[in-house]
Amino acid sequence: MAEMQNSNPTILNAADLPTRSRSTEKKTGDYALGIFAAVPNPTDFLSSDSEGDEDLLEEPIDEQEIYDLIKSISDPEHPLSLGELAVVSLPDIFIKPTLPNVPSSPLQTVTVLITPTITHCSLATVIGLGVRVRLEQSLPPRFRVDVRIKEGTHSTGDEVNKQLGDKERVAAALENGALMQVIGKMMETCQ
Amino acid sequence: MSALQTFMLVVDHDKEEAKRIAEGVAQDVESKKTTLIGIVQQLGEYINDEDPILRGKAVSFLTSVIKALPPKFLTRQQIQVLTSFFCDRIEDGGAVAGLDTLQKLDRFTKELAAEIAQALFSHFQDLQSRSQSQRFQVYQLLNELMSSHRAALRDMGETSLVGIVDLMTGEKDPRNLMMVFSIMKVVMMEWDITNHVELLFDSVYNYFPITFRPPPNDPYGITAQDLKGRLQDCISSTRHFAPHSIPALLDKLDSTSVNVKKDALNTLIACIHSYDPDTVSRYSITIWEVLKFEILNAQEEFLSESSLQALQDIAQRLSEGVSQVSQDLPLAQYLRPITKECNDQLQEPQQKQAKPAQQILKSLSSASVFAFTIIVQTVVAPIFTIYQEADGIAKQRALIETLSVLFESAIQVFGQWTTRGGEVTLENPLLEFKDQFSDVLGQALMGSAKEEVSFRVTALKGFLRLSTLRDFFQDNEIGLFVQYLDEILLQEESTGRNDLKKEAIAALAEISKHKPRLIMDITFPAFVATLPDEDDGTNSTYLSTLDTLAQISVERDIFETLFRRLFSKLTILLQKEQPGAIEYPRAILMTLLFVMQQRKMDTDPSVDLYFDKIVIGLCRSASESASGKGKNQILNDAIVLDTLGRLCNLLVRSVSIQKQQQVAENVYKLFSAAEDFVPVPFAQGATADQERTIIISTYLLAGLSKDCSTYIPYTSPHMSELLSDLVQRCVSETSEPATHLAFLRHLALLVNKFLSKEDLSIAEKLFDSLVSSEKQSYNPATIRTIFWLSKALVLRLAPTTTHVLTSLLGLLSSPDQQTSTSTARGFSILLGDDDVVSTTNGASIRLLCKQRVFTTVIPMISSRIREVNVAGNDDSESSKALDHIKPAHLTALAGILSTISTALVMPELPTLLPLLLQSLDLQTSDSVAVRAATLDTLAVIIRDNGVAVIDKCGHVHSLVVRLLKTTEIKSDVVNPPRLRSDSLKCLYLLAAKQTPGDSAGTARLPPSISPLLPEKIQVLRSLRAVLDDPKRDVRKAAVDARSAWLRSVDDAPEDED
Repeated sequence: MAEMQNSNPTILNAADLPTRSRSTEKKTGDYALGIFAAVPNPTDFLSSDSEGDEDLLEEPIDEQEIYDLIKSISDPEHPLSLGELAVVSLPDIFIKPTLPNVPSSPLQTVTVLITPTITHCSLATVIGLGVRVRLEQSLPPRFRVDVRIKEGTHSTGDEVNKQLGDKERVAAALENGALMQVIGKMMETCQ
Repeated sequence: MSALQTFMLVVDHDKEEAKRIAEGVAQDVESKKTTLIGIVQQLGEYINDEDPILRGKAVSFLTSVIKALPPKFLTRQQIQVLTSFFCDRIEDGGAVAGLDTLQKLDRFTKELAAEIAQALFSHFQDLQSRSQSQRFQVYQLLNELMSSHRAALRDMGETSLVGIVDLMTGEKDPRNLMMVFSIMKVVMMEWDITNHVELLFDSVYNYFPITFRPPPNDPYGITAQDLKGRLQDCISSTRHFAPHSIPALLDKLDSTSVNVKKDALNTLIACIHSYDPDTVSRYSITIWEVLKFEILNAQEEFLSESSLQALQDIAQRLSEGVSQVSQDLPLAQYLRPITKECNDQLQEPQQKQAKPAQQILKSLSSASVFAFTIIVQTVVAPIFTIYQEADGIAKQRALIETLSVLFESAIQVFGQWTTRGGEVTLENPLLEFKDQFSDVLGQALMGSAKEEVSFRVTALKGFLRLSTLRDFFQDNEIGLFVQYLDEILLQEESTGRNDLKKEAIAALAEISKHKPRLIMDITFPAFVATLPDEDDGTNSTYLSTLDTLAQISVERDIFETLFRRLFSKLTILLQKEQPGAIEYPRAILMTLLFVMQQRKMDTDPSVDLYFDKIVIGLCRSASESASGKGKNQILNDAIVLDTLGRLCNLLVRSVSIQKQQQVAENVYKLFSAAEDFVPVPFAQGATADQERTIIISTYLLAGLSKDCSTYIPYTSPHMSELLSDLVQRCVSETSEPATHLAFLRHLALLVNKFLSKEDLSIAEKLFDSLVSSEKQSYNPATIRTIFWLSKALVLRLAPTTTHVLTSLLGLLSSPDQQTSTSTARGFSILLGDDDVVSTTNGASIRLLCKQRVFTTVIPMISSRIREVNVAGNDDSESSKALDHIKPAHLTALAGILSTISTALVMPELPTLLPLLLQSLDLQTSDSVAVRAATLDTLAVIIRDNGVAVIDKCGHVHSLVVRLLKTTEIKSDVVNPPRLRSDSLKCLYLLAAKQTPGDSAGTARLPPSISPLLPEKIQVLRSLRAVLDDPKRDVRKAAVDARSAWLRSVDDAPEDED
């Protein structure tokens, strides 16, 4: 790769990135905590383990889940993730029904706004493509993916958006072996 | 024919014969039948022959004769003549070997050595055009001269230096180079090389970097690393090379190959270690200028690490002989540009380059106390300035992190409170900033917003490092920190992931090692004060308090205090009429148990005190409670008794044999006064409260050494009656679950651990009386008894093991569905880990028992299922009645698999895999546990061995289809979320582990088509639907599986480079 364009970006601490707070928040007075979990109750081997009711609870796909899917993508320039570089961030992810007028329609649109680390970053398109590919591989078919550069964060944002929004051009880009190799490398860190 | 002629005829094809001929001649020489002169004259007609082979053979004859002579035979004069002769003929075969023989003799002289060397230098100008073995001989002779007659060669001065370089120039064979490099190193280190530095340096540096790759099955076993090591020794051998080596090595860092860079850095480090400090100093700043880029723009982590190492080594070398810090030191001059660069990078400490700057500070400041002092003097003040002006917490946190890095170095340089020896005389330069640190860290920890967890954690870690740093804080200053930690733990609401509290506990535990007094004086009173007298149900914060106390009380003195405080709480509770919720006394017992488990109780001097209080005292109280004489019901509770039992078990194991005997006598009496309490065995109409004491008895029994068996009541002359009584209690369905389990364990313990080999038949008879062939149905309690008894026998590999296992499998086929199902579940008991019947408790668990059970049971299950499958096809009434048999066998299989390691499973995989696949075909809700266990087993098999083992059995397709089925949500199939995500995990592993971890053997195989390829389209299509699963964890597993298949399942495996 040629000269780095932004060799010294600001980094967010991984511990400070937004995470899902566990829905089953443990209370302080819980026997299942700390040292008390180490001693099992005298239970019978033969009692069959029962599955709880929470199995029936549905957990719809939300913004945090989208964020978790893309935050671990590596930046093509740095050995850092898009989350740590704040290229993607939770408030810039939106899920909306694709057809608001048809309430029964399951179609949803995911919009992800990307903030390049510097305004003239030529890799913005590659990053956008990477996010797009990751989401298309990881979301069910009823989701439409819309990846764009956040307004005012890139000098040629409109150009890049045109490229990212154009199905034909995205498809053509994905035929490009060298480009796919870069994107594949970016997604290696996704676990 | 003369001996010479015979020798020349046979020498090519029969070395032994040739040797024998030479030995014969040598004997003749020895016994004066012939003379050496005569032999040399004999050679005359051949040594001037035009054919070099003929000449060589003739010279070899002489060499062989000399070799066969005794070492003291030749006179000095003879040696001299022979040496001259060989030197004249040095190019002929055998002459070099002859010289080698001569130079080993005692009478060989320095002058002769020089003569040989001279001959080598002048006759072997064309050495490199000769064969490898000839060159090797020459080097070997030179090497021998080097080790035996080094002074002679050294006295030749330039002649030998240039001569050796000429000889080796152009050498390419790795075997020869190994020797050449070691000869060269001697020249470099011991010769006067001032006039030939460049010549010498070039002669070896030409070989850098070494790109040699040993051929496959290399018989000589020389690796690239061997050569690199020798070459590195040469380059770093003398400081005179520095003007050439250091610039050249730094140039090599421009290479595009990381391997070249790695070699260059390693060699550079070797040079830094070996050149003298003055030389290192001369190049130190140049080196920094170049290595800076490797660290700030790290290309590979290991390059950055080596670069940091090099910089640190320079600082260490420059600290040699320094006794006082001053700005004129070469060390200070070296560090100046470095600290400047770091200060610049730290202006924006949350940016990417600040990390490497921190690393630079860390490795250099830990180099020596002087380096540390210089760095602290130049770096800390600017950091404080930036800190004061910082506009955000992110920036402040990055700065505290930087300070923490320095604290860590301080600990390396000055040690911790607990570090022994190595006192440093210099004053710690951080002391100047002590109050500032205390203020900034205290403010960050306690004065910032509560939700800034990671910021506060950073401050806490910094504070902790300073608190453990030797001779830094006063006790009252550390005490302040301890108070902060107490406050965090006792008063703050927990937020988010509780990271701060976890760190606070860890910090208190760490401080307890260094300053136990502070913990006892400050933390203990504060925490114990919050413990209630009883749990009235309003507040259970005492659990987290006890949790914290347990974790900080591992140190001996602190534990004693903890024990005293908690035991008195417990005693008060036991005396109360209304003691509140049972959880509180249990939590206290668990706290004591936890800490005792962390400590080595058998070496604790206070163990007898704990034994008296807990084992004797509380057991007696329990016996009183059981006979209804207790003040309250605490010690009648099964869970409390279980915890108390574990505590007693631990203590009994730690006390002397005399005390253990005392325990053995009281196993059932529980130290009670004789009349008050009726021991459980043989008791008629015992109450549930009385029966429950068997829980404690079982734990006491488990802790006893085998040698105490004669002291156990009711066991003489033999255990027969005791065991029968226990079996009766086990099979009765009236006792409570916890009591019942204790009876089962008690029975198993006696049979497994205390029953002598001679009396084993008692247990076998009991087994046979339980499993009688006429009986068709058994109640679950009986089944359990059978299994626990079997467990006891199988673990010690009793002679009847096979009979026992066959009987158990027989029960699986019982026409009574209830019997069959209970039996199936029982199989997980057989080899399952148990807290009582365990190795820790001295149960006899033979190493091979798991293997024995597995190899006995698997073929039987497999053939039985085959029978059922065949019978199932005829659809008759009789086969309907047996519908439960197949699931029962599969459940039994799952039970066994869940208790053994996969290493045992692998040899049986071809038999096993079809069974596992059939388990996945079960679809009902009661098969969930079986399928979950199956998926676990499959996951481990795939993870450890890759898809190849499944492919070898030909089941890839069947497996993938079943796994995909298990991910579906359908109305007629019960696939709970856990099964769905487990099977997705298997699918993920299939794609991710296509080659087993250790691929050394298979690496050279030609790339083959992945056995998963035919499945790829189907898998990707099916998983697309799973991406919409209602459960998040399942979706996550589906995403991982799908991306693994997308990425890794390809036509041909990628070439590894």
